[in-house]
Amino acid sequence: MSDRPVHELIKELSESLVQLSDKVLQNFYNALTAVKNQDEQQAREIRLVDDEIDLTEVRLEERCLAFLALQQPVARDLRTIVTIMKINDDLERIGDLAVHIIERMPEINSEMLDKFDFETMGHHAGEMTARSIEAFVNKDRILADRVEAMDEEIDAMHSAVFKKVARQMKDSEADIDQLIAALSISRYIERMADHATRIAGEVIYLVTGEIARHSESSYEKLIQSLKD
Amino acid sequence: MTADSRETSQKEQVKTANREIYLPSERKNISGGGTPHVVAKDFSIYYGEFEAVKKVNADILSRYVTAIIGPSGCGKSTFLRAINRMNDLIPSCHTTGALRFDGEDIYGKFTDEVLLRKKIGMVFQKPNPFPKSIFDNIAYGPRLHGLNDRKQLAEIVERSLRKAALWDEVSDRLDKNALGLSGGQQQRLCVARALAVEPEILLLDEPTSALDPKATAKIEDLIQELRGSYTIMIVTHNMQQASRVSDYTMFFYEGVLVEYARTAQLFTNPKDRMTEDYITGRFS
Repeated sequence: MSDRPVHELIKELSESLVQLSDKVLQNFYNALTAVKNQDEQQAREIRLVDDEIDLTEVRLEERCLAFLALQQPVARDLRTIVTIMKINDDLERIGDLAVHIIERMPEINSEMLDKFDFETMGHHAGEMTARSIEAFVNKDRILADRVEAMDEEIDAMHSAVFKKVARQMKDSEADIDQLIAALSISRYIERMADHATRIAGEVIYLVTGEIARHSESSYEKLIQSLKD
Repeated sequence: MTADSRETSQKEQVKTANREIYLPSERKNISGGGTPHVVAKDFSIYYGEFEAVKKVNADILSRYVTAIIGPSGCGKSTFLRAINRMNDLIPSCHTTGALRFDGEDIYGKFTDEVLLRKKIGMVFQKPNPFPKSIFDNIAYGPRLHGLNDRKQLAEIVERSLRKAALWDEVSDRLDKNALGLSGGQQQRLCVARALAVEPEILLLDEPTSALDPKATAKIEDLIQELRGSYTIMIVTHNMQQASRVSDYTMFFYEGVLVEYARTAQLFTNPKDRMTEDYITGRFS
């Protein structure tokens, strides 16, 4: 029995989401490179691509809303559309983070950047995002769980940057503005990883129908992270 | 997978479908409701040799709305009609197992089906008012049960029409023939007629399939109004209607109660693959 066109529509929406994720990820990597190379031209391009991302996000949301209104999906179809809408939102926010990173460019120089390994951190967060989208495409619960676990590593990296910045700020010769810019970049990457973790959680909802967010253990984790 | 092999595997799934007693675990809080009102235990319905409803085990909760969905010929209407013994009119129809209403066996030796149908009212797919005045349509049931006082009857007629959200539209023409009403009004009149004998359960067999969207919306609003006062069971082919009006949904396939759950649960995260395939339109 062949699937009805409704399932083709869901497939098309999923494909649009994957294309958006490719664009968002590339822009994020480009932002890290632009900052590293202090490349003004690339920074301008990143802003333009982000405008495209914003427009694509709105268009995709409109298509999802039309689908909800016209097809009135239920069960897995409903969960898929809701998941696409939520991931769409996360991707747009990751897009904004790329712009935030290049906004720090005038505030930080290469010398300061060399003191931190944002490339590794950014690559790790990018991997998380790519894997979370892969989990969505394959409806892979195990991979989604793995992405959630990867977030701890990013948290540790961010925490190390925080401690390093705090230590250096105590130095009377420290360039406070540059240190704050470095901390901000670290924070943006860490937030990107948070979005990837959210996407993974949304995939878990898609697969199981259970909303895993804010479970008891995640509250405990949150309280623990605040204590840290 | 070919169409044939997919169908075969679905049939296999039907055979292995869970036949444990279904009792939805989460209950919404309706005052005085939520107790088992109709209880089926290994309840089967046969047309001659053919087992149309197969060993159903389920508790229908009082004062909630329970929808029954499933493809044509799955046994949903047969099951609904069994609750007030409408199937008795079919000579070859017989049942096994137990179907209880308030603890009493509906198919017990001494069950008075007239009294049973007073407590369990029914509204059908096509509005079927009597060719009488609006007043007489509503007063018919109470008169049948021995009430002849005109003042009391007038009170019942007004109360029933108000409950069925029809009073404002017909109060000035109660003596007019009910067949002059629109289809939607006629259907609400049938609900009012069922309510006039103060039933405990209202069975609705595809009550809006002959109505336009506006009249359908009024019937759905009415179901929401009556929820909490009556136990309502509705058979519908319209899945959106089931999801809009009901608290619980039963999915039947080839006579088997495949899944019975809270409506929100069943329409967002059904536990059974067959339910999923049916409600998402992957088979019908």
